[in-house]
Amino acid sequence: MAAIPYPLGGAQAEAKRPAFSEYLRWSIDHKIIGVQYIVTALFFFVVGGGLAMLIRWELLTPDLDVMANGSAYNSLFSIHATVMIFLWIIPIFAGFGNFLVPLMLGAKDMAFPWLNAFAFWLIPPAGLLMLAGYFVGPAEAGWTSYPPLSTLYSPDGQTLWAISLHLLGISSILGAINFIVTVKNMRPAGMGYFQMPLFVWSILATSIIVVLATPFLAGALTLLILDRVAGTAFFDPSQGGDVLLWQNVFWFYSHPAVYIMVLPGMGILSEVLSVHSRKPIFGYRMIALSSMAIALVGFTVWAHHMFTSLTPELRIPFMITSMIIAVPTGIKVFSWLATIWMGKIHYTAAMLSALAFLSMFVIGGISGVMLGSVPVDIHMHDTYFVVSHLHFVLYGGSVFAIYAGIYHWWPKITGRMLDERLGRIHVGVAYVSFFLTFFPQHIVGMLGMPRRVAYYDPQYQTLNVIISISAFVLGISTFILLYNLVYSTIAGKRASANPWRALTLEWMTTSPPPAYNFVGDPIPFEDPYGYGTEASKAYIDAMEARFGPPVAPKPAPAKPAAPVAPQPSAGD
Amino acid sequence: MDLNNRSSGSSMIVPIAVGGVLIVVGGLLISQLAPSAFPVQASAESEQIDTLFTVLLGIGGAIFLLVQGLLLYSVLRFGVKPDDMSDGPTIHGNTLLELIWTAIPAVIVLVLVIYSYSVWVDIRQVRDNEQTVVARGARFAWTFEYTDPLGRIEGPISSGILHTYVGQPVKMEMTTADVNHAFWVPVMRIKQDLLAGRTTEIRFTPTLAGEWRVVCAELCGSGHGLMYSFIRVHETEEEYLASFIDPAVDTILNPPPDPALRGGTILASGAYPCSGCHVLVDEQFGINWAGVTGPNLEGMGDRADNRRSGFTAEQYLANSIYHPAEYLVPGYGALMNVFQNDDPAAPYYMPEQDLQAIVAYLCTQTSTGESACNAEGLVNYIRDTEAPDFVSIEESAAAEATPESTADAMAEATAGVSAESTAEATPAPSGESTPEATAESTTAP
Repeated sequence: MAAIPYPLGGAQAEAKRPAFSEYLRWSIDHKIIGVQYIVTALFFFVVGGGLAMLIRWELLTPDLDVMANGSAYNSLFSIHATVMIFLWIIPIFAGFGNFLVPLMLGAKDMAFPWLNAFAFWLIPPAGLLMLAGYFVGPAEAGWTSYPPLSTLYSPDGQTLWAISLHLLGISSILGAINFIVTVKNMRPAGMGYFQMPLFVWSILATSIIVVLATPFLAGALTLLILDRVAGTAFFDPSQGGDVLLWQNVFWFYSHPAVYIMVLPGMGILSEVLSVHSRKPIFGYRMIALSSMAIALVGFTVWAHHMFTSLTPELRIPFMITSMIIAVPTGIKVFSWLATIWMGKIHYTAAMLSALAFLSMFVIGGISGVMLGSVPVDIHMHDTYFVVSHLHFVLYGGSVFAIYAGIYHWWPKITGRMLDERLGRIHVGVAYVSFFLTFFPQHIVGMLGMPRRVAYYDPQYQTLNVIISISAFVLGISTFILLYNLVYSTIAGKRASANPWRALTLEWMTTSPPPAYNFVGDPIPFEDPYGYGTEASKAYIDAMEARFGPPVAPKPAPAKPAAPVAPQPSAGD
Repeated sequence: MDLNNRSSGSSMIVPIAVGGVLIVVGGLLISQLAPSAFPVQASAESEQIDTLFTVLLGIGGAIFLLVQGLLLYSVLRFGVKPDDMSDGPTIHGNTLLELIWTAIPAVIVLVLVIYSYSVWVDIRQVRDNEQTVVARGARFAWTFEYTDPLGRIEGPISSGILHTYVGQPVKMEMTTADVNHAFWVPVMRIKQDLLAGRTTEIRFTPTLAGEWRVVCAELCGSGHGLMYSFIRVHETEEEYLASFIDPAVDTILNPPPDPALRGGTILASGAYPCSGCHVLVDEQFGINWAGVTGPNLEGMGDRADNRRSGFTAEQYLANSIYHPAEYLVPGYGALMNVFQNDDPAAPYYMPEQDLQAIVAYLCTQTSTGESACNAEGLVNYIRDTEAPDFVSIEESAAAEATPESTADAMAEATAGVSAESTAEATPAPSGESTPEATAESTTAP
């Protein structure tokens, strides 16, 4: 082992939370912007979840009886999907990235702070535009919005939908450019690319995808808007247009978007699993490089969403690439399993969420390979099997990763510990109800129920009732988390600088971090996951001596004798 | 699976072997669950696809057991003891292990790709002696067209149900009149999108007699969930040909003398996609429609007369079929397809005789059973529709402002299947070039 890199000395910064009003206005502090992203996204999570509850309520019976008509039902799942993808998962990962990347790099802010704020402030108007669709007839062509349904047969909300997505796309691109520049230029001395925390790697891979793919979404949306308002006919075959043009360009963005939505979650998982099982991440390089492999191969698989519309001869190449992408994903899963193997697993809420991700994401991966096989997909395409698959990946995967991230970093963000007991209840309830909501959907789909229908064959009712009831429980479980967030932020236990005894740099400052994050330039530990060595222990102890002892991750305080270090005075 | 002590290799062989056997056996057992999640197999393709799925499920099941097993074992075995603040062993990786879990999945997906490809090639094969059926999708109904297998008539025979028989390879040629749809027969495991502006194909060979659901699997609008029909697979060719004679061919070969009877037969045959949107129940012809996006047709004859001022019952009905957007029943949008008698090759072609028969039939939908139409007036009126200036829109709009028509329509809407339909306001398409909007729409006050 190399010499122990002690941090520089220096005064303890006052860990005071910014005033509440700071969060409501333009700010170029990446931590404030990060929180703005996270809170905005949580708001839309509740909106999208509410729409999902209405969908499940409608599907309790085989007939249309809750919504006024088929169009109203179609707008439910269209807006639900769009909100969840573009206003919940993507922004909240941008929020985590904003808050954490500069901290993990020991930097004072993002490379372009003003641009960062601008990227965030595009989101609220975009969200309002999306919801404003309800005043003019909301988008009802599904989040995929295939023409001609979305061009010739949809109300004006579809135009608002497209403009809103345009804004969100611009926001994503600006944020991603910022991340790439930050990661490239602002790493501290001694941190090469292969000493970066894996979360930073995942944000880098994600940002590269965003910069390369999102312009294609912008292109497709521009054509759609022109077709709708300017009388062009890019997608109107009666005037020489082509409906497959949209499908190709849309999926050329939207399949990589799946990785935009899941890679940051994989980054969170790498952090949480390693820290909470007190063991180095297994196969660091393979995990980092597999993110890049996924990003790259992810650009060659888009047409597997079109196995029933694409020219038959072209389907096989896309089947091959789609199946290949299972390999780097498998590498990650096995590396994570090997990470917790022989570790010392602390059953914190963050760890339980991460384990839930592993457990559920694998099912999504397996069903993904099934769907990747053309003959099987011919039967499964556009059925509830697909609905199930995508929720296993995006809820069982991304959302549980988000939960893990929230439980892991909330103490750093707010300076207060979350209620661990409530957290574990939340994760447990969410895990069970999630499984019961989405697993039976595989079977309903295989038996013959298409997706996006308000009416269905009565033979599927029993399963649908089970699904709906589980979905209601899942919906309610979210409020346990929200209550925990609000309550603990106001009245929770104070968090020390490094409650989980982690090695990455975001923990080497007070909780919450002061303005400009660090006093002096922090020195990163040589290996962000070097748990179990004397050097790492010494590093953490030195930090602890500087900022005060950790709050034990287990409910029972493990170090009762430790003196209470100077804590920040009460700050709102 | 011990990552650290590979030196004590021999002691690890037993648990790895036991675990491996458990996983393989478990995967095999899980794969046996596949049939219970599928509907019956009713085509040659379904057998191959199900076998492929069973293999995928077996491999997937084994991977599932492996991952969840390791996860569960870790969670139970490696939980930290209370007060233990120490770290786990410093293991950064193991090249051999990482190679193994890169190579084995790669080999597995390679095998699956090859296997899937061979199945794919097989189910796409062009068979001898194919029966070609033209399918047309329109919001929200299916129409199937055949050439007469006995060669009695020229031109296609339409029906709302797809007829074929066991062992007959079928080739579908599919077009859509409006948005994209998808032709899916769950029991046959086949699906193909219908794309606007293109003709798409799919092949299958039924193996099991029965009546099976044909489902639209691509979102096509408000009535998407109602867009289903049936495929009737007859036991033998003889049975198929026998049943083929009625009603479709029969109507054409021996048209009933009474136009109302002929109209009922035409509507019952599904030759025109009415059933997806309208409500109409008539036991005599076996009509049982339960659409929601169009006005109710029950008792239509009673209302047709005074629905629109200046129009007699037969004029109103005929006009509503050839120019549906000219007058909209309050609460309903301009969603209906515009039928025309100019171009037999275009979608929604409805020859004049058919129109006459359908209107005559609808006129008999009265509480008394008496026709509300004047037979002669009907014929004359329809003949007049040949003239290009069919009805001047300004004229009709000016003559429109009668309070009764609105009140009547309200009553109809409430009597209809969905009481909310007056508030439904099915949004009119916003694009300027929609088929429906070719006739300028005039909404009632």
